[in-house]
Amino acid sequence: MPLNYPLAEQTLDNGLRVVVSSDRAVPIVAVNLWYDVGSRHEPPGLTGFAHLFEHLMFQGSRNVESGAHFSLLETVGASLNASTFFDRTNYFESLPSGGLDLALWLEADRMGYLLDALTQENLDNQRDVVKEEKRQSYDNRPYGDSYERLVRLLFPENHPYAHMTIGSMADLDAASLEDVHAFFRKYYGPNNAVLTIVGDVSVEDAFDAAKRYFGHLEAIPTPPPAPDGTIGPLTEVLRDDVQEDVPSDLITMMFRLPPDGTPELDAAGLALDVLAAGQSGRLNRRLVRDEQIAQSVSGGALPLIGGVSFGTLTGIASEGVDLQQVEDALVEEIEKLAEGGITADELATVQAQAERDWLEALSTVAGRADEISHHALLFGDPNRINTRIDQVRAVTAEQVQSAAREWIRAAGRAQVTYRRTEEEA
Amino acid sequence: MNLITTPPPVTPPGPWKFPESTATTTSAGTPVHIFDRPGQYVATVRVTIAMPLFVEPRELEGVATIMSRTLDEGTELHSANDFAAALERHGAAYGVDVSSDALHVEISVPVSHLAPAVKLLAEAVTRPAFNVADVGRHVTIRLGEINQEKANAGYRAREAFAAHLFDTSARRSRPTAGTPDTIRPLTNVQVAEFYRSNVGPARAQILFAGDATGVDVAAIVDDAFGDWRAEVAPVLEAPEPLYLPGNRLVLVDRPGSVQSQLVIGCAGPDRRSAAWGPAAVANHVVGGTITSRVDTVLREEKGYTYGTRSSFSAPRKGGTFTLGGAVRTEVTGAAIGDALRILREARDGLTEQEVQEAKDSLTLTAPLRYEQADSIIQQVGSNIANGVPINFADTYMQRIAATTAEQATAAYREFVGTEGLLVVVVGEAKDVRPQLTEFGLGDLIELT
Repeated sequence: MPLNYPLAEQTLDNGLRVVVSSDRAVPIVAVNLWYDVGSRHEPPGLTGFAHLFEHLMFQGSRNVESGAHFSLLETVGASLNASTFFDRTNYFESLPSGGLDLALWLEADRMGYLLDALTQENLDNQRDVVKEEKRQSYDNRPYGDSYERLVRLLFPENHPYAHMTIGSMADLDAASLEDVHAFFRKYYGPNNAVLTIVGDVSVEDAFDAAKRYFGHLEAIPTPPPAPDGTIGPLTEVLRDDVQEDVPSDLITMMFRLPPDGTPELDAAGLALDVLAAGQSGRLNRRLVRDEQIAQSVSGGALPLIGGVSFGTLTGIASEGVDLQQVEDALVEEIEKLAEGGITADELATVQAQAERDWLEALSTVAGRADEISHHALLFGDPNRINTRIDQVRAVTAEQVQSAAREWIRAAGRAQVTYRRTEEEA
Repeated sequence: MNLITTPPPVTPPGPWKFPESTATTTSAGTPVHIFDRPGQYVATVRVTIAMPLFVEPRELEGVATIMSRTLDEGTELHSANDFAAALERHGAAYGVDVSSDALHVEISVPVSHLAPAVKLLAEAVTRPAFNVADVGRHVTIRLGEINQEKANAGYRAREAFAAHLFDTSARRSRPTAGTPDTIRPLTNVQVAEFYRSNVGPARAQILFAGDATGVDVAAIVDDAFGDWRAEVAPVLEAPEPLYLPGNRLVLVDRPGSVQSQLVIGCAGPDRRSAAWGPAAVANHVVGGTITSRVDTVLREEKGYTYGTRSSFSAPRKGGTFTLGGAVRTEVTGAAIGDALRILREARDGLTEQEVQEAKDSLTLTAPLRYEQADSIIQQVGSNIANGVPINFADTYMQRIAATTAEQATAAYREFVGTEGLLVVVVGEAKDVRPQLTEFGLGDLIELT
């Protein structure tokens, strides 16, 4: 279906790109900032810094006390958070529309004046919190380190995507307050961000408010671009076999894919969907339903902007089944798709699923603001949110096969397996 | 340009009400609630069926879950593979949920594909085949899932908490989806029998939320569900669950853990209680957010944790209060000590300012919570399961808005710490055990 969300765009004198999408149907407004700094920007020795800021940005700034960012917004009915990814960091809140000025003021104060409040004490405390986050999200759960292992295999050493956003705890431990301040000065400024405002506000009022709170901030020197990560498909099989106390044996294969924003990536993503998405995907049909050698399968593409993306396929072996059987079946299905292509029905199914996912992503003001920031920051074109479905619908079965043949091959993959340690007699 | 050094004023929003619905019934007499939400291009359609879990035979617990998971795994008209292909071809996603009191079966689908997708939803709900092979496969999958749960610290903690908070006479003392000894013997015969006794139009309500512009939702639903004629027995009212009172400390050994997963809690109000409202306000102050009393100390001052959260929660009967989170192994004892102190000190009173801020946050976030079609259906489905009106959110918000600091404190005091507190720790027992001697919670109960 054609989408027609209204969009208005201005760039302030200090370089801040502001995008407004007015929607008066709900009495709420979403504010969303994407900073052009993610883990791919981190040089060796400074891994985990972009994510560390996701924490430090809530510890107060020149005119905002520590903790006040949350409490001021929560008491006016906001939902708020931040997230870090390979390509970017984002900060966001949605709230009743009468709180728009407050949200913008808080975002501007930390964009301009975070360092006034960034003390050794805050740094030490949030470094501890990040370590607990790593323990909780990576170390204390089965298979929790699989992506860390896989990106290390899939990309050359020091490639921008060869480390995860959480970074190395040794790097964080070694960080001085001055290192952290320098990282902020390098990347956090109006000309390295997109501000999106969506919801119950007129376009004019939204731009006025953006100028009122962000207009006086000074531009920063143009940050260095992230290192170019352009790289072709893997041409070998790289393995990491782990013996551990896991509940079931598991395999994940990872493939390099074309960069985001290309029809080739859309096609490769649809190829992985034909294999692994939903209940009707080929892998679920064969491995889970028909042969019952796997308890579950999953997979999909993870679009990235820096010259290459990646995608995964995962299978968890059924009890008593040798994981090798799962690996063999995955390899067979991968090659079958590359050699034999997909049916028109399969293509229509994964396109219909992609359409629902996209409509759901845009169904809240917060979700729409996030996608607008995304497409404005990484592609310079927020209107891509309105044309995204058409792009996916335009992909042909031939393109899917051609992308699969080039990028999703048994002979070009990184692979991690987890096998249960033998129980002691 | 002038720099603005103080927070700009906030214009308070107008009054909020839960979205309105129109009610109809199918030809079979099943109530239908339609929430027309312009701009919500992905609709959610849910069938909520009253199905108290306590009616499961003790030796076959989990039969409701296996039944729910095999509804779409082969019907009278489609094989499992063909059904999935047909549904997903319409851009639909399908899901089921079994709670203490109800079975929920739902689809999300672009409104443009509503009619054929609702037909398929009805096929799963009203004409499942329960083939031997499909049921057997799901029994095997459930057994594998139990292995995954055993390896998950959070799951282990919640399971041990339920087992030690509720008497064994309560269904809720054991996992909703069953245990290996009750899952293994299940066959398609028992699954089909449980279905026939519990799933029929007289127990169902059908919910729609989405952009209904130009779509006759009532007719589409009736076309799919109007000829549903299965007879089922009336719903039995679940007995009040028995709690085990007193302070208790349970340590579950999980070798190799680098953190300790904690759950601390006790009985709480259920939704019939007048405290359901004031208790939520108190919870928000004590442990409901990152700015709460607990996280201010455990996360922001001490850096023991990535974050903890507390909540009062309740199915139809048998409410609970829990505080949960993961803390570093070396500081497990210190973190429990701080948490217990904060939970107990809150009984001495919550301040006017704390309570006002909590009320504001809880009431003013309401329009955000129900913006999406699916979130409306989640709430309404849960209201039906819990036996409260479908617009109960309005009553709940009014109660919260009317709560005083005294009432919030009283609601909290009525439950938290009154009959003792149950502390569950899942972690590396050899490192954690020596840290658990100081709390006066009675003998340590150790589980492996």
